[in-house]
Amino acid sequence: MNLNLYFTEVKRNRKNLITWSLIAVGFTALVIAIFPTMGDMGKDLVALMDKMPAELSKAMGMDAETWTNILGFYSTYYGIYIILLVGIFCMSTGATIVSKEERDRTSEFLLTRPLSRKQIFKEKMMAMLTLTFMIFLIQTIIAIVLVAIFGSNVRWSAFATMHVHGLVLILFFTCLGVLISFFFQPKKNFMGMVVGIIFGSYFLNAVSRAAESIEWMGYISPFRYMDFDPLNPEYSINWIGVVGLLLISSGLLYVAFRLFEKKDIAG
Amino acid sequence: MNGIETHNLTKLYGEHVGMKDVSLEIKEGEVFGFVGPNGAGKSTAIRTLLGLLHPTSGSGTLFGEDITKGEKVRARIGYLPSEVNYYEEMSSMELLEYHMRFYGQSDPSKIEELAAYFELDLQKKITDLSFGNKKKCAILQSLLHDPDLLILDEPTSGLDPLMQNRFFEHLEERNKQGTTIFFSSHILSEVQRMCDRAAVIKQGEIIAIENINELMAKQVKRARITFENKKEIEKISGMNDLQWHGKKLHFNYVGNIRPLIDWMQTQDLQDVTLDEPDLETIFMNYYKR
Repeated sequence: MNLNLYFTEVKRNRKNLITWSLIAVGFTALVIAIFPTMGDMGKDLVALMDKMPAELSKAMGMDAETWTNILGFYSTYYGIYIILLVGIFCMSTGATIVSKEERDRTSEFLLTRPLSRKQIFKEKMMAMLTLTFMIFLIQTIIAIVLVAIFGSNVRWSAFATMHVHGLVLILFFTCLGVLISFFFQPKKNFMGMVVGIIFGSYFLNAVSRAAESIEWMGYISPFRYMDFDPLNPEYSINWIGVVGLLLISSGLLYVAFRLFEKKDIAG
Repeated sequence: MNGIETHNLTKLYGEHVGMKDVSLEIKEGEVFGFVGPNGAGKSTAIRTLLGLLHPTSGSGTLFGEDITKGEKVRARIGYLPSEVNYYEEMSSMELLEYHMRFYGQSDPSKIEELAAYFELDLQKKITDLSFGNKKKCAILQSLLHDPDLLILDEPTSGLDPLMQNRFFEHLEERNKQGTTIFFSSHILSEVQRMCDRAAVIKQGEIIAIENINELMAKQVKRARITFENKKEIEKISGMNDLQWHGKKLHFNYVGNIRPLIDWMQTQDLQDVTLDEPDLETIFMNYYKR
């Protein structure tokens, strides 16, 4: 293992890590802190929800309990906004960690060091995954603390399932980012693409759940397999989904590695 | 063992030829020039030697090790790129320390010593450095880990004459201690000063490998002579393309300079200008014959 490259990569991304961790943690805190207020309003909302068309509430991932149970409330935000915020950082990091060297033409420096392309790719992926786990852990720990403070009778196994599903989604998007950067090189940054892909796949799943005729489309979305439904008493980790998505993620990285290995670094 | 060896090394970009059938043998301890006009394939050859480009066909070795699996042997190589692109957010010091750690070294005093010699401010960020100072940073980068082989691509671009000279003196010193130097340039005078032998590359192909002293003896000079009075002259061997403009005679001269000077002494001349045509003309002229 080449610690020099690994640590330099982690260090180079630390500012982004801090910024996006603060955003994710801030949003988490905001969501959980307003729950007590929402909980009081919950009774009125339950009445309102009953009048809403079932398809709409299904698509939005809400039902009556969403507003009265802290995990139900947190899950509607975690399942998309927090995944999106964390995902923006992770997928952008994935998309830039290799491609930035080429864009800034520093790959000439890096690739003339006494390292094989395999070593370089490996160290970069290790650094990227370290960053992914770091932001995930920071957000998760803060969420645990806040849910423990603001909630009562919390079903922690459901919380754990949500976060395992979240982690798998984030890992998937991170790896997808790496591969995408071998095909697309936006002028400014990957932000637009990242938001589009994460939001897009979320809505693909959401919309497909609402109408049977387009249900098949939802199966393209990783959100289909990593769901966030802590109020369902049978909610538990979808192990087949977890293993499947992790295998696909590894496959994405493998394809990216083969492309990197074969790539000509022109001046 | 040879420092660099290539056999029919070829790089094609679709239809476009990057280099074709490049075969070189550079002995350990040699200073080898690699000359040719811009776009002739010099950088393509260097980038292939370093593993940045994958050869289409042919093979190459550095100190006997295959260039396509060159990660180990790269520890013995210093590379000075023609265009310097480093991590802009780093200072020179940070970059050079990062560089050194790849070779298992971490002695900042060594960096400071070389930086003082080349007058480089180590604390400035790469992004704030001028073109010439970036080049100096790259020079330090190529030297700091004491490589056995230096691959220099247009090493003097951006350096002022004083610094060029200092750099050449340093290179001569390193060469005395055994460092092999591969010196790519389109400036003939540099190659003339530094190199024992040189290969000439044109449109991706090696058109000659020459001993520099022999090459210089064969070199074309562009002569412009003004006579006191226009008169018939007796052509000596080596004079080509004679053109009269009134009392002025323009011609190309190829060969040892001595006979030309001797001849000029016998003429009543008003003025003489001798200059070197650009490198391409020299080789065009030479290889045309």
